[in-house]
Amino acid sequence: MQFYRNVISTIFALCLFVIPLHLVAAPEGEYIIISKKGSENITLALNKLDVQRGDDGKVAHSLDLIIRDALAFPALFTILAPQVTVQDNSGINYSALGSINAEVYVRGTVTTIAGNVTLDMKVYSIGAAKLLFSKTYSGKETQLRPVGHAFCADLVEHLTGRRSAFGSKIVFVSNKTGFKEIYQCDFDGKDVEQLTSSRSISLTPALSPDGKNLAYTDYSTGRPALYIRNQLDGKTVMASKSGISIDPAWRNSRELATTLSFEGDQEIYLLKSDGALYRRLTRSNGIDLSPTFSPDGNKMAFVSGRNGQPQIFIQDLLSGEARRLTFNGDYNTQPSWSPSGDKIAYTTCENSGEFNIFTVGTDGAGLRQLTAQAGQNESPSWSPDGEMIVFTSNRDGKKRLYTMGATGRNQLALLQMSGEQMQAFWSLFRK
Amino acid sequence: MKKKINGFLILPLLVIAGCSSDAALSTSGSTVTPASLAPAASPSVKPVPPPPPAAPVAVTPPALPSVSSAASPTTPSSSEQNGLSQSGYGFDQWQTGPVGDVFFEFDSSVLSSKAQEQLAKNAAWFGRNTSKSARIEGHCDSRGTSEYNIALGERRSTSAKEYMVRLGVASPRLETVSFGEERPFDSGKSNEAMAKNRRAHFVVK
Repeated sequence: MQFYRNVISTIFALCLFVIPLHLVAAPEGEYIIISKKGSENITLALNKLDVQRGDDGKVAHSLDLIIRDALAFPALFTILAPQVTVQDNSGINYSALGSINAEVYVRGTVTTIAGNVTLDMKVYSIGAAKLLFSKTYSGKETQLRPVGHAFCADLVEHLTGRRSAFGSKIVFVSNKTGFKEIYQCDFDGKDVEQLTSSRSISLTPALSPDGKNLAYTDYSTGRPALYIRNQLDGKTVMASKSGISIDPAWRNSRELATTLSFEGDQEIYLLKSDGALYRRLTRSNGIDLSPTFSPDGNKMAFVSGRNGQPQIFIQDLLSGEARRLTFNGDYNTQPSWSPSGDKIAYTTCENSGEFNIFTVGTDGAGLRQLTAQAGQNESPSWSPDGEMIVFTSNRDGKKRLYTMGATGRNQLALLQMSGEQMQAFWSLFRK
Repeated sequence: MKKKINGFLILPLLVIAGCSSDAALSTSGSTVTPASLAPAASPSVKPVPPPPPAAPVAVTPPALPSVSSAASPTTPSSSEQNGLSQSGYGFDQWQTGPVGDVFFEFDSSVLSSKAQEQLAKNAAWFGRNTSKSARIEGHCDSRGTSEYNIALGERRSTSAKEYMVRLGVASPRLETVSFGEERPFDSGKSNEAMAKNRRAHFVVK
């Protein structure tokens, strides 16, 4: 009963928190003009940044590359390099921009004084022939990425009404050192950092939505156990129970779920972020595995062998009722609930023996295959804005991380690193 | 809710029952009943034949490669021959102990009749060597996804353990752990290599 009370108060708290944000986030409906329903990409005319003063052009050039690279990343934009004639003293030549099918025009200026950088950006809607927004960003000359990415985040939010993946982290497993350890990198694969050094087997990392805690499975004790690492000070706690722990996932920043076998069968349990056991969620004969939660935390998708072969089920945490979600194929695992709440990405073993990534609506409709005939593809995880999916593929021989748009477009390697990389998890914005 | 809890109580007894369509190949899919568990608790035990509910096929003479081919077509028979010729137990160079490993079909933790024969031999050995204990490691091939394989590996090690406990080996002497697909015995991608990796591996202590 306490659990239900907690859930209800959590929902209530979430509603209080979320609703005002939504009201604030939409910039007077401007983005509706831009993001045409059903259109694949927003065509963006991106001018080179102008140098205002105090810079020989190096800072502007660097920022230009950072912004250009970042905007190419979310599979949202088609980027055009406009002709010089789009802008003259009398203002923006909207008709010239319209003639190259640009929908949005971006320009900016850079000022550098004593190592301090100021970036003034202006974004225009070409269809509406007016300024969409204008904003100034500042930072240090030595740390330009956050400056450029702050603009990119604002741009995406203005154009789509949603928060972007800029600034988010990806945690993953690599055997680079000869042992499987946990690493993290920025959303674009940059700034790789090794987080664990257990020289054992570390698997299935999951970041709490507030980014403060990392949960993962580790074999340091000789058996797979749940570890929770404080991301600020690097301290870890082990949640010890007899039996094994597999594949943790956060329900919110205070609770996580994992499979434990200490009661005999493999069932999914809720734990507090300090590792204390809280509540058992599944009761079925067979494997129950790989929880992933709806954005409101009230539903859990997971893998169950209750009918024989592994299939994905969705369980309502309030009623306890579970229904089967996947019916195509004999082996469906690794569900990942989309941040918008309407889809589940997962991995299917096809009849050919090939593993591929699919998405399906949480109502079971709208099945879509995202990868095909490109090696083995698995472990999908959504970007926090729901625009992209990071996954593992061995299409180039060894297992590496790739990203793609949420419909499977634009499949690109995320990073270059020795050894193999797998089990990527993209951080969330959930509270 | 209460009904579900009651259902859960019989769950451990059903562990061996497995869950794969490959169960058709096996003879052990329905061997366990609550009754068969009860008399199995005595700690030291003579070699015992598999318990009555087990399918009659399981009581055939000790596994000879030629006889066993029908039971499990993907069992690595060539390496098994090596093991047998060297020590009478074990299946390949990774197996150094006197107690033999048992092998499984893809996505299955069901004990084949051949696996049951091997486990009967193992149980007999533990009956003669009462100071010994073992860690049973569940392993999987690299097909399948790695999280699921950790769960499947645990079910394989638990299947093997439960069977031996029913033959009289005291439960605390058999510890189980799963390595999923993390510690392959053969890193090859051939069917034979895959078959070698689908096992419950005994480490005698």
